[in-house]
Amino acid sequence: MPETNFPVTGVTSPRAVANKSEKMHLFRAIRMALEIQSPAIRKNTQTFNNNRYRAVAALPDYDLLKDHAREIKEQSIANLPQLLTRLEAAVSAHGGKFFLASNANDACQYVLKVCQQHGARLVVKGKSITTEEIRLNHVLQSAGMEVAESDLAEFILQVADEQPSHIIAPALHYSRERITALFKRKFQTDLRLDTGEELTRFAREHLRDKFLHADVGITGANLIAADTGTLMLVESEGNIRMTSLLPPVHIAVAGIEKVIASRAHMAPFLELLAASGTGQKLTSYVSFLSPPLDDPPFTLPGRARKPREFHLVLIDNGRMRMREDSVFRETLYCIRCSACLNSCANFQTVGGHAFGGETYSGGIGGSWEAGTGKLENARFSDLCTGCSRCVNQCPVRIDIPWLNENLRNRLNRTAHLSVTGGTLASLTSLSEEDQGAAAAKIFFGNYHWFAEWGTRFAWLSNAVANSRTARWALERTVGLDRRCALPPFPRHTLIQTVNRTHTPAVNVPVAKVALFADVFTNYGIVQRGIAALAVLRTLNIDAELTESVPEGRAALSQGLLAAAAEYAKRAASLLDLYVEAGRDILVLEPSSLAMFRRDARHLLDNDELFERLRARTFEPIEYIARLFRNHGRDPAEVFDVARSPVGSRLFYHSHCQQKTIGCAAPTEALLRAVGFDVVTSSVECCGMAGSFGYKKDYYDLSMAVGADLFQQAHEADGEGSPRTIIASGTSCTEQLHAGLNREVLHPIELLAAIIRLPAA
Amino acid sequence: MSSLADTFTTNAREAAAFVERVAPSPDELRDAVRRSTQDTSRIVLGPCEYLPAALRDSLHELPGVVAKPSDEQLSTADVGISSAFAGVASSGSVCIAMGPPLAAAASLLMPLHIVFLAADRIVARPRDLFDSTSLGGEALRRNLVFITGPSATADMGPLVRGVHGPHRLQIFLLG
Repeated sequence: MPETNFPVTGVTSPRAVANKSEKMHLFRAIRMALEIQSPAIRKNTQTFNNNRYRAVAALPDYDLLKDHAREIKEQSIANLPQLLTRLEAAVSAHGGKFFLASNANDACQYVLKVCQQHGARLVVKGKSITTEEIRLNHVLQSAGMEVAESDLAEFILQVADEQPSHIIAPALHYSRERITALFKRKFQTDLRLDTGEELTRFAREHLRDKFLHADVGITGANLIAADTGTLMLVESEGNIRMTSLLPPVHIAVAGIEKVIASRAHMAPFLELLAASGTGQKLTSYVSFLSPPLDDPPFTLPGRARKPREFHLVLIDNGRMRMREDSVFRETLYCIRCSACLNSCANFQTVGGHAFGGETYSGGIGGSWEAGTGKLENARFSDLCTGCSRCVNQCPVRIDIPWLNENLRNRLNRTAHLSVTGGTLASLTSLSEEDQGAAAAKIFFGNYHWFAEWGTRFAWLSNAVANSRTARWALERTVGLDRRCALPPFPRHTLIQTVNRTHTPAVNVPVAKVALFADVFTNYGIVQRGIAALAVLRTLNIDAELTESVPEGRAALSQGLLAAAAEYAKRAASLLDLYVEAGRDILVLEPSSLAMFRRDARHLLDNDELFERLRARTFEPIEYIARLFRNHGRDPAEVFDVARSPVGSRLFYHSHCQQKTIGCAAPTEALLRAVGFDVVTSSVECCGMAGSFGYKKDYYDLSMAVGADLFQQAHEADGEGSPRTIIASGTSCTEQLHAGLNREVLHPIELLAAIIRLPAA
Repeated sequence: MSSLADTFTTNAREAAAFVERVAPSPDELRDAVRRSTQDTSRIVLGPCEYLPAALRDSLHELPGVVAKPSDEQLSTADVGISSAFAGVASSGSVCIAMGPPLAAAASLLMPLHIVFLAADRIVARPRDLFDSTSLGGEALRRNLVFITGPSATADMGPLVRGVHGPHRLQIFLLG
C-alpha cells in the first residue's frame, strides 16, 4: 500500500484535507479514508465500542453516575466565572501561576514566554488535544525549541505530520503495518519493527531520553478542581506522569470548560471516563495533582537544580461565546471520552480525518470546531446522520444529533450569506426561515411532498424512477445518487387501501389505539400498515388510522429546523386529539416514533405536550408485547410459527433510532417467544440512515458502512438455509435489499402471516 | 479473606497486575520481594509510609537496595517499591500518594513496580476515596495516582504492556 502518496484520491496528506470549509475537501477525505485508513479505523473503533458496552454494563449505577456527572458539568458551566476566580486563588495559594488566555495566540505566547524564561531547549508533551487546537507546537518550534510528543499516538502523528483522527487515540487510523513503514522511512533504521512490542520499545527508548532531559513538561488536564487547583490526568502509557513529575517546569494547558467546583466532584468521572472511553474499569494511571509538588524535580548530573514551577494556562478561545449559546452550551459539558465517535457507524468507517476538522472529530467534533473556530469548519458534521446511537453513550447526556442538526441549520443559512463571515454567535436564532438551504436539503427534508405526488401518479413516478434520464436529472439537481434503487411508490396509500375495505368494529376492545399513518408507511411500505391493523384486530384492539402528516424527521435531519418544528407541532396536535380521546398512539416507522419519544422535546416548545405524547406513543410490537405481559398471555397462543411462509430462521436488524429509544428488544423477544430462531445484527446503523445513503456525495460511504451488516447477515446464514431478513425501518429495508438482493419483511408482516386460525 | 480483597485480587489480575498474599512479617516481605526480583536488581525504596515501621525498616536489609539514590541512579534502577495509600476493589487499582521524596519515582521510572497494600485499606469503588469519611479523607488532600496494571498502549496496533511506566506491577497484599 502506498505510504505517502494517495494516487487514487490525489490527496498527498491528511493535513491537505483537514480544513473542510470547502466541501470538496470533505469528499476527498472520505475517499482517502475509504481507500487507505478504513480497515484500521474499523477495527480500533469497534474494539473501543464493544469494550465500552461491556464496561458500562458492569457499572451497577451507570445511569446515576451519568446524571451526577451531567449535573456537575451543568453547574460548573453555569458558575464558570466564579469558579475561575476561585481556581486562580487556589493555584496561587499553592505557589502556581494562573493564566487565562482569551484566544489561541495569547495562550501560545504565554507558554512561549515561560519556556524562554527558563531557556528551554527541549519541551516534552503529554497528549493534549487542546494544544492541537491552539497549534502550540508550531509556535514553540518556530522559536527554535524541540517539542517531543510523548504519547505514542501523538509521537506517530508528529513523525507523520498529520492531525489527530480521534480524540483519545489520535493515530487510530494507523495499522501496525503502516506504523512500521512510517518509522522505517523516517528514522532510516535497520532495527526490527515488525510487532507492537518492537515499535513500542523503539519509541520508548527514543522518548525516555527526552523525559530525562526536558526543561519543560506540558500536559493537558481532564478536569480541574476550583477549590484545590487539583488536576485530574488520565492516561495509560505513563508519559503524562513523566511529563508532569520529572521536569522542573510543568505547564498544564486546558480549556476553561474543564473546571469543576471541587475535587470531591471528580468522583463520578473516574469510572465514567474510563468506561466510556477505552472501555476499561480505570486506565493504567489516573493522577490527582495539585502542583507544584514538594519533592525536587528530576535533575541529571551537570544540570542546574531548580525548584519546581507550575503554570496553569486556561483557554477561552470561543468557549465563553459557546456558553452564551443556548444550543451549543451543551458542548462544554463534553469530557472528551470519544464514546460518540466509537458508537458512530460513519465514524467507524472513515474516522476523524474525514469525519473531523483540523483538531476535533466525530459527532461532538463539529460543535468544537465551530465553537473554537469558524462555523464553516464544522461542515464535516454533515456525516452525522442523526442515527442517535451516540445519545445513550454520552456520559454527560449531550444530545449530539441535535447539535449537528443545529450546525446544519446555521450552515444552511450561511450558504446565502457571506461564506466566510458566519460565526455561531451571528446565527443563533432558530426562528428565521430555513432559507438558503440547497435544493438537495429541501428535497430530502420535504420528502412527503414528493411521496404524496409520487403515489398519486404511481404509474408515472415509478416509470420516472426507473428512467436513466430522470435519474441523471435527479442526481444533478438534488443529489439523489443514480445507483440507489428507489422504493416503488404504491398504487394506493395505506389510507386509501383501508378506506376501500369494510372492517367491522371490534367488540369489547381490550385497548384503543390510533395507528399513525407515517409518511414512510402510508406512501411506502403500505403492507406493514395493513399487517399491523390485522394483528391489532386479532388481539381485540380497536385501532383507528390517523391522517398522514409528516412529523418533521426528514426536515430535522436536513437542518431545516423551522420546517421541522412546524411539522412536529402539527403532527403532535393531531396525535394529541387521539390521546385525549383515550387512545394510545402506535407508530410503525422507528424514525417517526423517535421524533415523538425523543427529538420533539426540542421542537414543540411545549414540555407538557411532549411528555404526554412520549408516554403514550409506542412501537406496535412493543405495544402488543406489553399487552401480552399485562394480561399474562403467551404470544404463542395467538401466533403459530409453523404457519410461517418464510421458515423459522430469521435475521433481524433493528433500526438505529429504535434501539436508542429502547424499542428493539421487545420485537426480538416477541419473535423468540413465538418460536422463531432469531439472529440479530450488532451494527450500530445500516448506513442508509434515512436519506443519507441516497445522496450522491455519500453513496459509497453508505455502502461501505453497510458492508458490516451484509456480512453479518451472510454469517448468520451459516451452513443452513438462508435466514429470512427482517427489519423495522424503511431505510434499513432499502439498504438490506440493495446489499443482499433479498426480500426484507417488517416483523409485523411476519406476525400477521402466522396468526393462528380460530379452532374449527 | 474478605470479599473486598478477593474482588480486588480478581480485578487487579484482570488488569495484568500480579497479586500475591503475604503475611505481614519482615521475613515474609523480604522473601516475597526476592522472589519477584533477581538478587542483582538495583532496588529503589519509596517512602513506604503506609507500612508499619518494623516492616518498612526490614526492607532496607534487602540486597540491591540503593540507599539515597541519585537521580541518575533512579533512571537506571530495575525495581521501585511503594506502599499503597489505598486499594480499589472494583478496578483492582492501587493508590500511591506522592509528595515525599522518591514516592513518584519509585512508582514510575523502574520496569518493575512492587506495591505493598494492606487489605484493610481496600475500598469498594474509586469514588469511595472521594468521601471525606473514607481513610480519614486523606485522598481529598494529597497528590495521588490510581495505578491499574502496568503501563500499556494500543497505539502501535495490538495491546502492548510496558510503555513509559513500569512494565510489570507486582502487588503484595498484606493482612
